[in-house]
Amino acid sequence: MAYTQKVVEHYENPRNVGSMDKDDPNVGTGLVGAPACGDVMRLQLKISDEGVIQDAKFKTFGCGSAIASSSLVTEWVKGKTVEQAGEITNKEIAQELSLPPVKIHCSVLAEDAIKAAIKDFQEKRQKKQAAP
Amino acid sequence: MAAATASPSERTHFALFGLEPTVDVDVKAIESRFRELSLAWHPDRAPAGDSRARLEAVSRTAQLNDAFVVLKDPVRRALYLLKLAGIDLESEAGAARAPMPLDFLEEVMERREALDQAMAAKDHARVQALADDVRAQRALALTRGQDALRSQDVTTASHALGRVRYYARFLEQVDAFEEEQLT
Repeated sequence: MAYTQKVVEHYENPRNVGSMDKDDPNVGTGLVGAPACGDVMRLQLKISDEGVIQDAKFKTFGCGSAIASSSLVTEWVKGKTVEQAGEITNKEIAQELSLPPVKIHCSVLAEDAIKAAIKDFQEKRQKKQAAP
Repeated sequence: MAAATASPSERTHFALFGLEPTVDVDVKAIESRFRELSLAWHPDRAPAGDSRARLEAVSRTAQLNDAFVVLKDPVRRALYLLKLAGIDLESEAGAARAPMPLDFLEEVMERREALDQAMAAKDHARVQALADDVRAQRALALTRGQDALRSQDVTTASHALGRVRYYARFLEQVDAFEEEQLT
């Protein structure tokens, strides 16, 4: 299948590949998978105490569209607040990358990863506040 | 006359072979039944000039081929049984209904990272060792999935067969690597 220019660009030069310390209280980790294809995606967000995303890293084992979707969202979320990042939808990702219908699930995976990372961060924060 | 039997598309792969849905099929018996049916249903046997009969034969043969591919393979057969039970792991929507536990996704991530490193270093022995381990895990998960299907425990079956899919993907990567090394 032919990938669009933008997908190829992200695939060949993925932004922000890597990992962060998942035990850091300011790091939210989202780990999601797609049983339909057996691929996995990890997205990590470094979030300030004020709720602003300072950095983002990803590691995706999957097809070009999955890598491009996660690479793209690491660029998009930086500088956004947690609330703004949580509003990113798979439609926007798919549109930006011109993903064909059979690859829409890759953008869904990326959206799920953002939400999972935010949830992880918020749970950590609640635990911290609950601790004496 | 057409009303006497259900249309082919409504029949399960098992019914096509005259079987009840089951994990435990006799693959040899399926193979010989497949040959018999392929001959009996061959489009060339449709009455000459009867284009409708011919078309029906073509579609029936196509379904027979699909059914054969699924039934003879233990993994595909198990996934098909799970689909008949209401969870289609091969579709996105079905897979979304059976999310995998987080610790398993972490395990997959670690295995894929280790494989990536071994492949980058062209360390064949390490790649094979990782693949052997995953093959063993896949066999274990398939057995667990089959047991769960036998006892109609759909949730356990979907988790076990979901694992099989992730392990299968891992092994595809290994195969692709080995092929690349050969060329």
